[in-house]
Amino acid sequence: MFTEFIKLALQSMVTSKLRTLLSLLGIVIGVASVITIVNLGESASKSIQADIAAAGVETISVSPRTRDREVRRTFDLEMADRIRSEIPGVYRIIPTHQFNTTVRFQNRTYDGTVMGVSDEYAETMDYQAAEGAFFSDMDNEEFRQVAVLGSLAAEDLFPDGGGVGEYIRIMRGGTARTFRVAGIMEEKSSSFNIQFNQNVYIPYNTYANRVTSIDFVRSYLIRTEEGADVLAVADEIDEFLERVVGSGHYYIFTPSTIADMASSITNTLSMVLASIAAISLLVGGIGIMNIMLVSVAERTTEIGIRKAIGASPRRILTQFLIEAVTLTLVGGILGIAAGIGLSSAAVRFFDWSFYPMVNIYFLAAGFSMAVGGFFGLYPAVKAAKLDPIEALNYE
Amino acid sequence: MEPAVIALESIRKYYYMGDFVIKAVDDVTMRIARGEYTAVMGPSGSGKSTVMHLIGCLDSPSEGTIYIEGEDTSELDEEDLAYLRNAKIGFVFQQFNLLMKLNALDNVMTPLMYAGYPLRERRALAEHTLELVGLRDRMKHRPNELSGGQKQRIAIARALVNDPSIILADEPTGALDTVTGEQIMDLFEDINSRGKTVIMVTHDPEVSSRCRRTIHLRDGKIVEDS
Repeated sequence: MFTEFIKLALQSMVTSKLRTLLSLLGIVIGVASVITIVNLGESASKSIQADIAAAGVETISVSPRTRDREVRRTFDLEMADRIRSEIPGVYRIIPTHQFNTTVRFQNRTYDGTVMGVSDEYAETMDYQAAEGAFFSDMDNEEFRQVAVLGSLAAEDLFPDGGGVGEYIRIMRGGTARTFRVAGIMEEKSSSFNIQFNQNVYIPYNTYANRVTSIDFVRSYLIRTEEGADVLAVADEIDEFLERVVGSGHYYIFTPSTIADMASSITNTLSMVLASIAAISLLVGGIGIMNIMLVSVAERTTEIGIRKAIGASPRRILTQFLIEAVTLTLVGGILGIAAGIGLSSAAVRFFDWSFYPMVNIYFLAAGFSMAVGGFFGLYPAVKAAKLDPIEALNYE
Repeated sequence: MEPAVIALESIRKYYYMGDFVIKAVDDVTMRIARGEYTAVMGPSGSGKSTVMHLIGCLDSPSEGTIYIEGEDTSELDEEDLAYLRNAKIGFVFQQFNLLMKLNALDNVMTPLMYAGYPLRERRALAEHTLELVGLRDRMKHRPNELSGGQKQRIAIARALVNDPSIILADEPTGALDTVTGEQIMDLFEDINSRGKTVIMVTHDPEVSSRCRRTIHLRDGKIVEDS
């Protein structure tokens, strides 16, 4: 009997295509927007993760999370040594600190970030010099005033090329300090949360003792040994810090945690948007209720005939419910197709990889059917309750 | 005595319009035995259609009891009444009342669907019944592709297909020309000769003259039963 009713429903949809399409529009648009949003969200977060994985640098970063000067002071160079020696799997640990300032060369200026780092930074981050070289451990040990320019800084200060061996001035608190340019770095796309090209790098010791008088490390960048499990090492560091500085006094990040955060944000956002879009499905349901009421009115005689030949109220109810559900399922399928088309086009436009969320297709189809059942119920009950004689005599 | 197939005991059907009462059926008692061929006659407004609806369990009386094959219909709910209409009664209407979107075969198969037959049996039974009414070669046609007489034959096949004991026909020749009407009447006679109880509502003396019993109604009362 179900198959008959489904066949009947499809038949009447085909005979009045335009009307069917118009009444289904709400469902189609609703489902299409839900699918598009969910697929875009999924593709966005997967693409972010893929980008991070492709960057290949599994770096852990640790920063103090406190305004307590005493606690903050424990984040010093000695702590870096302890992490390196006490935690297996740690290959390098680089103390960093930074401030934003203006750098001058003759009459040119560059507004950017000055970063104090140890000499191992370039090698650790797989960051190559285009000209000259990154500063050496001797530069760091002896607090020398040497600087290495990121590609953006070099472009602004030395637009005609060159620059190695020249003297630039770094402004800090109204004082200008002169630095010799030791190298200019190659362009490197940002990975993790590090922007390379905009920085001017100086030795950490020079930074901490000559340029500023900071008494803590802003951020340690930790590179693990080849083949080590980055997350396991991060856990060890976490335990170590909890013991040494106490929980809640530090941040620890790995690219994975950042990726997780990014995807949880995009996921939350897309779920919120999808829920809003789902409301339009309810609006679409009203269109279904409308068309079903019209259908029941138009087919009053048919209902009368069916009752006369032995259709019970329950059968009539079933017939019209199946019809409504078939209708919305077709709308749902059209919407899913439209959503797949839209989202794959948008993904191409944004240059992400397409990661469709197939589960949501089934959910959308199921939800469409539920909308059909819910909004088709009242018209179906109305049909089932029709008086057979009145229905037969209906003109 | 064999119990009546249909028994109406002191049936009244009143319609209320404000303070005004319309007595469509006013104290009707009748018994119809198995295999009878009965015409219910009367001018329009005599209550013959209402009696027909009451016998067919499409309507319920205001007072009195209707027994179909000995069963008290007042004790049945909507679902049971639908089952009874499906299994024991076949309707034939003046305007055929076929399902226009379905072809002849599907129309005839519909009562079997409600009876719960599987598709294969439904098809076999419907084809067989269409053969009986001489329309097997038209079974893939839709009603609007068929003549009035052909439509009425399909309607008769639909009434017969579930093998009910009672056939109720409401002016079955009313929309047909004389020759076609005669053929349809022949078909009813044939059906009656196969043991079906046939009740025919009509105002046409030509039609009633072919029935073996005629019940005359006027103003909701039986005025003659012969």
